Amino acid sequence: MLTVSDLLTRAGSFQLGPLNLTVAAGRVLVVLGPSGAGKSMLLDTIAGFRTPRHGRVRLDGQDITGLPADLRRIGVVFQDAALFPHLSVRDNVGFALALRGHRRSPKVGELLARFGIAHLARRAPRSLSGGERQRVALARALAARPAALLLDEPLSALDQPVREELREVLRATLRDLAVPAIHVTHDRDEALRLADDLAILDAGALRQTGPAAELTRRPTDAATARLLGWTALGPARQDTGGLLVGDLPIEATVLGNGATRGTVYYRPEEVLLGGPDRRSSPALRARAQVLEVVRTVPLARVVLGTTPPLTALVLHRDLDELNGEVEVTVPREALRLIEPATPLRKVTVELPKNHRAGGTSSEGD
Amino acid sequence: MTRGLFPALLWVAGGVLLGFILLPVLGLVTATSPGGLRDAAVNEEIQDAVLLSVQDAAITAVIATVLGVPLACLLARRRFPGHALVQAIVDLPLAIPHTVAGIALLFVFGRTGWLGAPLQVTGLSFYGTQAGIVVAMLFVSAPFAVNSARVAFEALDPNVERAARSLGASPGQTFRRVSLPLAWRGILTGAVLVYARSISEFGAVVILAYYPATAPVAIYNLFLSSGLAESASAAVLLLLVALATFLVLRTLASGWLVAGATRPRR
Repeated sequence: MLTVSDLLTRAGSFQLGPLNLTVAAGRVLVVLGPSGAGKSMLLDTIAGFRTPRHGRVRLDGQDITGLPADLRRIGVVFQDAALFPHLSVRDNVGFALALRGHRRSPKVGELLARFGIAHLARRAPRSLSGGERQRVALARALAARPAALLLDEPLSALDQPVREELREVLRATLRDLAVPAIHVTHDRDEALRLADDLAILDAGALRQTGPAAELTRRPTDAATARLLGWTALGPARQDTGGLLVGDLPIEATVLGNGATRGTVYYRPEEVLLGGPDRRSSPALRARAQVLEVVRTVPLARVVLGTTPPLTALVLHRDLDELNGEVEVTVPREALRLIEPATPLRKVTVELPKNHRAGGTSSEGD
Repeated sequence: MTRGLFPALLWVAGGVLLGFILLPVLGLVTATSPGGLRDAAVNEEIQDAVLLSVQDAAITAVIATVLGVPLACLLARRRFPGHALVQAIVDLPLAIPHTVAGIALLFVFGRTGWLGAPLQVTGLSFYGTQAGIVVAMLFVSAPFAVNSARVAFEALDPNVERAARSLGASPGQTFRRVSLPLAWRGILTGAVLVYARSISEFGAVVILAYYPATAPVAIYNLFLSSGLAESASAAVLLLLVALATFLVLRTLASGWLVAGATRPRR
């Protein structure tokens, strides 16, 4: 288990933390955040490349805060792969074993085969494609038999098809590895594909953590909502008839998170046009003109003439049925009322009651 | 038209500078007859002086590299109080006249100098000795070793070194197995520059160690005693020897014999 407690790191005027994280063996925590949020800084501190101002890092019960990076047994995979350019692929993968005197270990061959790079064994890193380089970096990190693995946006520099292919390789690897793993990214799809647990990091502060499915369904923080694909509809206000956002009435009772003020967020892909789905009870109903259809892929964006304007993501095959005025409904699970931003580092973390011990957790301080 | 004008300007400006460098060398070479060159080559005094210069410049290059690389590594990788001051101290020999450097070295390594006097008791003397020549050469050429290696270390991707650390390599192992092989070309370039600067050094050497005479000192003596023609022959001989060793070292630094630059197959 990898535990980070009250960790605070500074670089110039930027402050990361204080924050708390726990990642159990075999679980993957994805730290999702925009560029400049402090994701790489967090990994640097855990890996031992950066000294924290205060706080502790523990791995399998041992306090490793004061240990140098080479004694921590934490593998790191970098965004740019950071292969040793003067060594062949084989020597890169065998680097950690060579340090221990096992120059001709069969383990190297096994790892090369496992990651589908055996045919590249004698090649120089500079002659490899981005995807091949990351496979080598992953094999190299695993050869050291790490007790924890940190992945610093290893897929972000890759083309889309390669990224998707490698994402699956990574997912399978992390499943087999059975050590705590922290993967940082700014890519929502990547985060949701790989994560057991999610931690949302914004401007150096941990905004919300918990199981990935839970955070996606029920964000309680504006930054979390935005990063997980929710769109701000607008500020809510109380009216005699209930809750209003602009001219749109919201069924406040079905929003379900107890908030009475704040901004309403919705999921555009859940907006239904042409009548409600019988399986869900709508929290918002309106009739609106179709203002604009943007034929994005895979789903088209339909901008509606509500106040404030709603955007729906719809299948291209359904676009022909959208003429003139349409009935708009948004199911209750696709609307969230999120209270105004709590001061940073005072985040109340929502964890499900059945969230098992050993998963990811966080505390405000 | 505009596209053709700018490259032409580059060539003209570059050609003027190249001509400025080559013309005096050409003047020197054309003033030397094959016979004069042969005489200089068999002259034992000149032979000894050229050999001494090559030998001491090579020793200086080794010492400057061994002592310069750690300092270069610190300057490239660490931020510490006085970082800029240390860099300025490294560059200092580049900014002072070499005769001034020689006088300054006398205060430290002369017979009554701070280090010269106590070390003379142990039998190590710098005044008028080969050790003195190396000290003078080292003083004026050390910045080339440090700066060239520093630039090489700065060019390394820090994540490559971090990757080595995360794989279990100690700082020493990371330096030996990763940083040094990758910076080796820059380090060797620095050594070549130290060698080149040392073999041509006159000002500092002539003050600290007039004897035994290095090639530049011997050529100067020849110029004073025998005139332009004889000194030109000796000068061309030194030029040829320096050029030959320079070419060999440059070839090494270009990569194909450098361990760190060996290429895994594509």
